[in-house]
Amino acid sequence: MKERFATGFDPFVIPFLIGMGFVLAYCAYGILRILFQLSREDRRRFLLSLVTPATALKNIWDIFCNCLLHVKLWKRNRLLGFMHSSIAFGWFMLILLGHVETVLFVPHRINLFYYPIFFNYFVAETDATLRGAALFFLMDFFLLLILVGIALAIIKRVRSRWFGMRRTTRPSFLDTIGLYSLWAIFPLRLLAESFTAHISGGSFLTIPMNWIFRQFFGNNLYMLPCWWAYSIALCVFMCVLPFTRYMHIPAEMMLIPLRNAGLRIRHPRKGFARVEVLSCPGCGVCIDACPMSADKANLKDCTVYLNRQIRRGNERRIREISDKCLLCGKCEELCQVGVEGPALRIAQREMRQYAVEPDYAAVDMAALREAASGSKVLYFAGCMTQLTPAVGKAFESLMHKAGVAYTWMDREGGLCCGRPMLVAGRRDAAQKLIDRNTELILSSGADTLVLSCPICYRIFTEAYHLPGVRVVHYSRYLQGLVLLGRLKLEKSDICYVYHDPCELGRGCGIYAEPRKLLGQAAMIAEAPQTKGESICCGGSLGSISLDFAAREAITRHALENLYASHADAIATACPLCLATFSRYANRPVRDLAEIIDRSSV
Amino acid sequence: MKEKVLIIGGGIAGMEAARQLQALGCSPLLVEKEHGLGGHVARWHKLFPDMLSAESLVTELEAGLSGVTVYRHTEVKSINRLKDSYSVKLSNGENLVVRAVLLATGFRLFEAAKKEEYGYGVYDHVVTNADLEAWMNGFPDERMPEAPRAVGFVHCVGSRDIKAGNSQCSKVCCMTAVKQAIEMRERYPQAEVYCFYMDLRLFGKKYEDFYIGAQRDFGIHFIRGRVSEVGETIDGRVQVKAEDTLLGKPVKVILDLLVLMSGMVCNPSASALAPQLRLEIDSDGFLRSRDNVAGILESGRPGIFYAGACTGTKTVPETLAEARAAALRIYQYLQA
Repeated sequence: MKERFATGFDPFVIPFLIGMGFVLAYCAYGILRILFQLSREDRRRFLLSLVTPATALKNIWDIFCNCLLHVKLWKRNRLLGFMHSSIAFGWFMLILLGHVETVLFVPHRINLFYYPIFFNYFVAETDATLRGAALFFLMDFFLLLILVGIALAIIKRVRSRWFGMRRTTRPSFLDTIGLYSLWAIFPLRLLAESFTAHISGGSFLTIPMNWIFRQFFGNNLYMLPCWWAYSIALCVFMCVLPFTRYMHIPAEMMLIPLRNAGLRIRHPRKGFARVEVLSCPGCGVCIDACPMSADKANLKDCTVYLNRQIRRGNERRIREISDKCLLCGKCEELCQVGVEGPALRIAQREMRQYAVEPDYAAVDMAALREAASGSKVLYFAGCMTQLTPAVGKAFESLMHKAGVAYTWMDREGGLCCGRPMLVAGRRDAAQKLIDRNTELILSSGADTLVLSCPICYRIFTEAYHLPGVRVVHYSRYLQGLVLLGRLKLEKSDICYVYHDPCELGRGCGIYAEPRKLLGQAAMIAEAPQTKGESICCGGSLGSISLDFAAREAITRHALENLYASHADAIATACPLCLATFSRYANRPVRDLAEIIDRSSV
Repeated sequence: MKEKVLIIGGGIAGMEAARQLQALGCSPLLVEKEHGLGGHVARWHKLFPDMLSAESLVTELEAGLSGVTVYRHTEVKSINRLKDSYSVKLSNGENLVVRAVLLATGFRLFEAAKKEEYGYGVYDHVVTNADLEAWMNGFPDERMPEAPRAVGFVHCVGSRDIKAGNSQCSKVCCMTAVKQAIEMRERYPQAEVYCFYMDLRLFGKKYEDFYIGAQRDFGIHFIRGRVSEVGETIDGRVQVKAEDTLLGKPVKVILDLLVLMSGMVCNPSASALAPQLRLEIDSDGFLRSRDNVAGILESGRPGIFYAGACTGTKTVPETLAEARAAALRIYQYLQA
């Protein structure tokens, strides 16, 4: 292998250098900006995590699995996974192998940025280069892999259903430019390398193509236009990259270490939130995931469009999208890079100013303290359970059957758990409620707090600090009573389909216990979309602006999914889902406690 | 030859229309899915404002049906339009060819259990207005307390309630609540009676007098405010929390009986027939009339007419008047 040019330079590399220089400078500036936007404590935590071996290794592993291999996408749809990983991993390998070639054959050129990329132009094969054949083969192999990926990407534009997606994002203008330049890069590279293959050498792809070209154009192939085109395509792609969805490539590599360092969204736009927004690849998985997409009017209100509007700074749309969302969390569950759609929206809501702050000073704490005291087990029903009395009554009856002494702390009225305020973005107001409830619970002397509403349960586990008190959802608690033999269940032959409430399932990760409990009392069928992919009932208090007509479409859509299981009745473990479904369901909807109560002896 | 007219629904509208059509020389065929005629009114006790016995009204209407073909326990399975008539298939296997069809399918009571917060079907002493009338008619109901000390009425259950899917006013429940409140007070003079209302719509003849009498002569408490929550005390009584919006204060009342004034929704059997005849459904879920001023009886399809509560909530006198008007309208249609 010998160099063809003593200078090691040709003007066609200039566009590439411009693009590369721009994107590196932009990313360096971006990283510094993000670092300065983090709070002092977060920054310290992040930098420390980078030098901690365990997290550093985890970062590398996660980046390898997610950014290059797209493991999560493979799990979702193999074709989609193959498409993304072939492009990402293939491209990475081309760059890596380019460097290996440079180091092996022309080590003095490794300091030149462009050399590994345009290696084939600058070197000529000698008779002794057979040891390079393996590398040439790999280069052609990975190029072919990428080309297959690009072909799939083009097919996906027209037939997205083959890739398991009903709807995909509408790309913006710059996205389209980025997309076309990305598609152009690799065919142009193939052309350029094929035109040069009789000089630089090649493998199974480039050599035959070179032979074909020579049949057409003669032995003196004029190769420079191809290399120029290849370099310009790279330049265009890298110059538009920061302004397109392809920004997710560098941003995700930043997001993974930030997340592994345990950072959370603290500002609606800056720091962690900014990295999350930039990490959105705009794949559109969240469009199909969003329960609101049952109604076409809401198609542009899912997380991918929130991210786009935040990047554009369109305040009116940001507010509209943030307020509309039900915060069911399905987009986050399915998101390949882990953009926290709900948390991002709550952060936007927190920017709103309210003229009146709620004041809970008039609450008669002495009476509530009195109502909460008396036993080791506390039951907090919450407002939604009060509005669906069948749930509370069934729970009461079960506790009576099991002979558990307990206190229903908010039976005569109590304080809100604070979750509605929290999701509305009113953190301070929520904190006031949390403080008061904490005081009530701690002063009661109880060691167990049972909740029947997943909305309450979520905030009690996430935002309350209750040392010495076990906070437990009633599905888990009742399961415990069954295991202890204090509740005896008889299995009925009614078949229920269990609907996973958003707050309990995706919110708190409780999927198995309700099913285990239900399975002892009745038959269970599963809906097509279940567990993490369960569809929000539409009643969620997460949405500030959806009206009842809009929610009805969502509820009916969720019910269709449950009907597909052909169960006799619907079971759920959330009073809000219960109330919402019973409004429109064509078969009975029952809470878990009711079902257990009926079958207990 | 007498022209045949099919009347779907043997409630008061269907019976009255059948009687009038018979008198006009047509041949009405009355189809009723249940055994007894009279629909909701047959299960009612007394009718406001004169406290007329509902039974006597139904008996009177039924007496006028001599000569009318009545299909009891029968439903319309399908209707097909022929050139200038309709071919009808009944659930008893009979096929009829009729010149005109009158839909008198009426309403269905809103399912009070859907408003779960009121605890119908959950608490022991929560009933609906219809349950109360049935009990007054002598049907035993174990939910009724022995000697109630306090009775409450919740207005607008499933009416004017977008959450429940009904935005329309059911029109008769305000007056029904006032009537039933007075009846309860008469039966149990020692009981306090409360009515929880949004606002009272007492539009008909003598309704306002009734309302004033309920306050002045019977001492019934009217509390303006929606009920927020219903609970049960340890001794099984019903505890109601509401806000008295006139006083601006929350109120809590413990009752022995809570009566829910269930509103009216369109009869599902009318909604099922509508697509076969290509009839439109209005935004309130009832059948859509040609217009709501002069064309309430007209469906917009030749030979199909409406009477009574299938087009919206109606009182008994309104329904009877519509039934007579529909009979005349059909007679004119057949003459033309």
